[in-house]
Amino acid sequence: MSDLLSILSLGSAGIAAQNTGVSVAANNVANANTQGYSRQRVDLESMLAAPLVGGVRSGSPQRVASDLLASRMRTASGSLGMSKAYSEALSDFEAVSTAGATIDTQLASVFTAMSQASVSPTDPAARDGVVASLRGLVSGINMRAGQVAAARGEADHRIADGAAQATALASQLAAANAQVAKSGDPTARDLRDQLANQLASLTGAHTRTDADGMMRVTLDGGAVLVDGAHAATMTATTDPATGFGKLEVVDGAVRRDVTAQLGGGSMGADLQLRDHTLATTAQQLDQLAYDTATGFDAVHTTNAALDGTTGHRMFGALAGVAGAAAALVVDPALSASSANLALGTVGNGPGDNAGAVALFQLAGKPVAAGGKTLGDAALAIVADVGRAGATAKGDVLRDELVNTHLGDLRDSLSGVDTQEELTNLSKFQHASEAMTKVVSTVDQLLGSLIQNL
Amino acid sequence: MRITSTHLIEQSAAATSSAQARYATAASQVSSGLKVAMPSDDPTAWLAAHRANLRTALVDGTSQAVQYGRERLAQTDGALASIQSIVSDVRMLAVQGSNASYNPTSRAELGTQVRGLFESAIGAANTQSPDGAYILAGSASLVPPFDATGTYVGDAATRDVATEDNATHATSIAGSELTSTGGVDVMTLLSRVATALSNNDLPGIRSSLDDLTTAIHQVGGVRTRVDGMMHVLDDVKTAHDALHQTLVTAASNYVDADIVTAASNLAQAGQALDVAQTVSSHVIAMVKAQST
Repeated sequence: MSDLLSILSLGSAGIAAQNTGVSVAANNVANANTQGYSRQRVDLESMLAAPLVGGVRSGSPQRVASDLLASRMRTASGSLGMSKAYSEALSDFEAVSTAGATIDTQLASVFTAMSQASVSPTDPAARDGVVASLRGLVSGINMRAGQVAAARGEADHRIADGAAQATALASQLAAANAQVAKSGDPTARDLRDQLANQLASLTGAHTRTDADGMMRVTLDGGAVLVDGAHAATMTATTDPATGFGKLEVVDGAVRRDVTAQLGGGSMGADLQLRDHTLATTAQQLDQLAYDTATGFDAVHTTNAALDGTTGHRMFGALAGVAGAAAALVVDPALSASSANLALGTVGNGPGDNAGAVALFQLAGKPVAAGGKTLGDAALAIVADVGRAGATAKGDVLRDELVNTHLGDLRDSLSGVDTQEELTNLSKFQHASEAMTKVVSTVDQLLGSLIQNL
Repeated sequence: MRITSTHLIEQSAAATSSAQARYATAASQVSSGLKVAMPSDDPTAWLAAHRANLRTALVDGTSQAVQYGRERLAQTDGALASIQSIVSDVRMLAVQGSNASYNPTSRAELGTQVRGLFESAIGAANTQSPDGAYILAGSASLVPPFDATGTYVGDAATRDVATEDNATHATSIAGSELTSTGGVDVMTLLSRVATALSNNDLPGIRSSLDDLTTAIHQVGGVRTRVDGMMHVLDDVKTAHDALHQTLVTAASNYVDADIVTAASNLAQAGQALDVAQTVSSHVIAMVKAQST
């Protein structure tokens, strides 16, 4: 009798264990397409119990995932986030900066107009043509400087938005940490992983899961964004020195400037774009504007204008290289009258064209920084952006490959295979039915025994 | 390695997406005719092409200036040819007038003819280019270089045109070449002959004959120099045209798509996309079938 009761207990435990298996398999199938879901597995354990038989019981459902793989995925995600955002932003800027007449073609127009004026130095139409081409060049350089400033401003806005987003994600991640610590819920772990991935993609953050089960999130340079159930905030405040946002991680009274440290994620891309790539482009444009003005004026001021006077400028005086691209203007006197265009030699008549020839021949002279011609310097600015864009495209391909590979690994480990789960479901169902029959049989035996007593 | 159904679907979707991207690139090349549309497509090729384009623009500008200079020289040659012809005609009339059989009236008539030729010579020497500049005035090109007496009031400056970044060639000669600095003062000589004929100044007429011969050679010499300049500019123009063609071809090679290759690539990309889409639909159908 007591043996039959043991078998009854065994059957009952078996039904419970198999039902857990059914539940886990069904949950896996239901979440087969849930982003970031890690499949769960239930392990059945033998219950060796005296005196006759053991039985089976199910452990808690186990989440099938690798912390190491998840960490590598986050690193790769941060890298992809950066290369993708950087590539897209550069591509947008490239499209804008090559639209319409470029500076090199506007320079060519100036030299062509100068060439025409050199054969007709007294012709008002030819002189007006030079002034018009100068206006075009100045307008082009001003416009490109404006485009660079606008692109840097847009990156700055995205950085500020990213800081707010990172703060929200860090806070959610800290809450998920608390929930994991409290319940060990696999779903909370999945959520935490997803939040960590988003944070990595945004900031290039690094994560570490410690023995206490808590995830710690740090940024490049070591600033701690999430420490267990506690999250710091990220802020972007305008830096008066640059006019752009300064990124800080704020934890209580402690503020840590991470502007120069964020080297990953889409925010890292925007920082790279704003503070390096486009800052260099802005400097190159300023240098080109300055070299153009000083190069032309060095010749022009020694030439004689139509009335024989000298000392006329082609461009307005510049305070220095910094800001030259935005400040560049055609000299007001020249803009007002092309008679102030100095194409001749002092002491000769108005038909002398030696000055015009000298101005035209600046096209081939290394008057720009680095011993370049002005045309080459103008082309180099766009080509440098193009090179950065080409490198970024390559980086995106590389990072996508790494992410795909890691994604495949994760899918292989943690992904739900519906066939496998349906088989498990069937297996657990049949086992459960078998256990039900055992219970039923024991029940009948017990009934017979009781009747025969 | 476990291959999940989700993985199969994702892989086929990624393959389709990649095939679509390749098809879009191929279609873009066919429609635009460019294999390098943006600097980042191929920075080296883009830079080389735009350098060639920049150089082409400068060569074209130079070439236009050379062409203009050539036309100005042709105009100068035309004016000098007229002057040379006039000087020859004047010499012929002076020879007639130096004949002792001519009477003062006949000489006066010849003088009138020579005066008319002198004025024509002044007109030729004060020829203006289409931009209004006096072509023989040197740098004083806004005023007629020869006044009514035939005196040269221009200067000796000549005008060069830049033919390269660091090379120039002359495109003008100054009217001073027709003054005593070049041999004899041609214009005033013509005036002097007219006066001598009108005044029946036989010694004066006879003494001018050698000067007229010199003047003919002098103008001829200047014309020869102008011809030489025109030949140089013709050679420069030919070189510019060849350079232009070379640069245009080079730029095109860097960035233009070969239409046959581009069309072939498009066809291949289209086929690859069809196959990828077919595989995707098979994978989805297979996974669906397995799940039911």
